[in-house]
Amino acid sequence: MTITDVINHIGNTPLVRLDSLSSDAINYFAKLEGHNPFGSVKDRAAYQMIKDAEERKILKKGSSIIIEPTSGNTGIALTGIANALDYKVEIVIPEKASNETKDIIRRLGAKIFETSDDLCPKVGAGTDQSIALATSIASSRPETYYSPNQYANEANFRGHYIGTGPEIWEQTDGKVTHFFTGVGTGGTITGVGAFLKSKNPDVKIIGCQPQQNHLIQGLRNFDESAKPDLFLKREDVVDDWVYADNNEAFSVVTRVFEEDHLLISPSSAAVYACMKKYPVSDDACVVGIFADDGRKFKSIYTDQNVLTAEEFDDCVKSAQYMSELAY
Amino acid sequence: MSESPEKILDATGLFCPEPVFRTKIELERMQVGQTLTVSADDPAAEEDISRWVTRNGHELLSLSKDGNTITFQIKKVR
Repeated sequence: MTITDVINHIGNTPLVRLDSLSSDAINYFAKLEGHNPFGSVKDRAAYQMIKDAEERKILKKGSSIIIEPTSGNTGIALTGIANALDYKVEIVIPEKASNETKDIIRRLGAKIFETSDDLCPKVGAGTDQSIALATSIASSRPETYYSPNQYANEANFRGHYIGTGPEIWEQTDGKVTHFFTGVGTGGTITGVGAFLKSKNPDVKIIGCQPQQNHLIQGLRNFDESAKPDLFLKREDVVDDWVYADNNEAFSVVTRVFEEDHLLISPSSAAVYACMKKYPVSDDACVVGIFADDGRKFKSIYTDQNVLTAEEFDDCVKSAQYMSELAY
Repeated sequence: MSESPEKILDATGLFCPEPVFRTKIELERMQVGQTLTVSADDPAAEEDISRWVTRNGHELLSLSKDGNTITFQIKKVR
């Protein structure tokens, strides 16, 4: 795939009906963001943030280093897209992030710094440690480093406002009534939410949160992690919150595979679990973001007894809607 | 030639938590018993490095200040 092919394949992801939840009166859909070239919703934000920095002439080809804190998917997306555009990438990632994700980032050519929660306890846990380290590295070497900072970058919001939101509106013929997504940076929920409400103020925007000390890569629980600046700017777009604990999320993975033939990621499973328990009236058209597919999560699914290694491999082979990745 | 038992890390000009992160990486590369001298000038490094060293079972042999520069002598214990 050339870089032009890669960029042309960002977005326009499929919207698939979830038979396991739908009835004659209510339609449930999953927006399969795993169909982006580097396998997740984060391709949209990564591309928009790099494009924005190029337009503002912040990045210099061959010399600039892009550094970014991430729990995984943004690291994969930024590394894939930035390397293709001739920028070096350094990724700061919590050590508890999945080994599969770290291996992909390394294979794509980024240098990885792993942070632990004991590094600087006053800044928080998990990704908050990575944010603090990436910020410190970039701020002492401003000539070399550029940190897009997905937690505050308007280009992250814009990627969803001009991309994901309009796609969902068109794919549902304007019938969407409820939109569910997890919240990490807040880019997806604010971008899609603001666009959908501009088309129909009655669309309900529902945020999905995991439990504290959760195992759901990419999502944040706001009782233990700070609300990102990007989210805070437009948090009033959210109408309601639903919570799914680790067990609720992991328990739907096999059901979704058996009934919808999808191998879903832990964050998609959390969104599905929230969609499932949220009451909606007849004629609802419910859309949830499935931020990536399940193929990177063999170790967590086997560790948590969701699937055996053999079952996981079988699921990867026989699942429907598995996309072709650019790596 | 045997490796020098003394290592030096200049973390001046770096903002926290990078000095404690570089200290951690340097200690991971060293042998037990070796000593690392770290200098830093971000005031937050005093608490960050001292606490991390103790919590992780290493020995803070000394901590001194000269103007804005804080110097730590750390022995790798485990």
